[in-house]
Amino acid sequence: MEDARLISGVLLYPSGRAVGQFGFNNAADVMSICALTSAINASARELGRQLDGKPFYEMHHAGAERQVFMARASAGAQEFLFVGVFDRESSLGVVEMYFTEFQKALEKLRPEAPVTTPTIKPGGDFEGELNRSLDALFGPVGKR
Amino acid sequence: MKDVSQIVGGLSRVPGVTVAMIVGAVDGLIVEASQVPGAQTDGDRKKHTAALAAYLYSKVTRASNAARLGVPAFMRLEAEKGHICVVGARDLVLVTIVTPDANLGRVRLEMMTAAREAA
Repeated sequence: MEDARLISGVLLYPSGRAVGQFGFNNAADVMSICALTSAINASARELGRQLDGKPFYEMHHAGAERQVFMARASAGAQEFLFVGVFDRESSLGVVEMYFTEFQKALEKLRPEAPVTTPTIKPGGDFEGELNRSLDALFGPVGKR
Repeated sequence: MKDVSQIVGGLSRVPGVTVAMIVGAVDGLIVEASQVPGAQTDGDRKKHTAALAAYLYSKVTRASNAARLGVPAFMRLEAEKGHICVVGARDLVLVTIVTPDANLGRVRLEMMTAAREAA
């Protein structure tokens, strides 16, 4: 990630649940990015299906100062999403190149069974789920 | 003004040039590349070389500007098994992978001419 000169990045499940992050100090930012990435990924896939007959798996947005790269990654049957932010010191080509290496490293992990994300039903343990995700990312409250 | 396919086609016919590419200077993505028969990994090899060569050229440009030398005209990276040559053409860069025994003067001349045609 340092070689690709990414400023920040998150690896998450397609459901929006974070797996790991770097470059963020605020848990709320990570949760927001995961939720947005998950939604964008779902929209882009459907858009791709409708326009091109197959889902779009990568997205790049070039802002004035910073750029965003989103892509699908997989390890065996388990699918992940990655979102990274980089600036003009890097380039899309370089980020894509290091992402390919990251994808290969991830593929070697090959979890035996894909992680199934529990669906949160109305009235379900949303708060507990949120706290567990926050604890996983930033450590339990009081120990940060 | 020639189109990118003609420019890449012309460069790939220069003796010693194994790969010729036109790459976006900012994003490092391939605009056009010569078709070289080879392994399946050839696509990745070209993509990675293009991205890193454009990145390197942007850093060389910065160094050249810092030294008040202006825009670099030609960049050549000499490696164990050949050379990577890069020439800037506004928002594009021309990249070639060249064999060690190639006539580098000819390669340089052809690339400079091609850069003028691409700009």
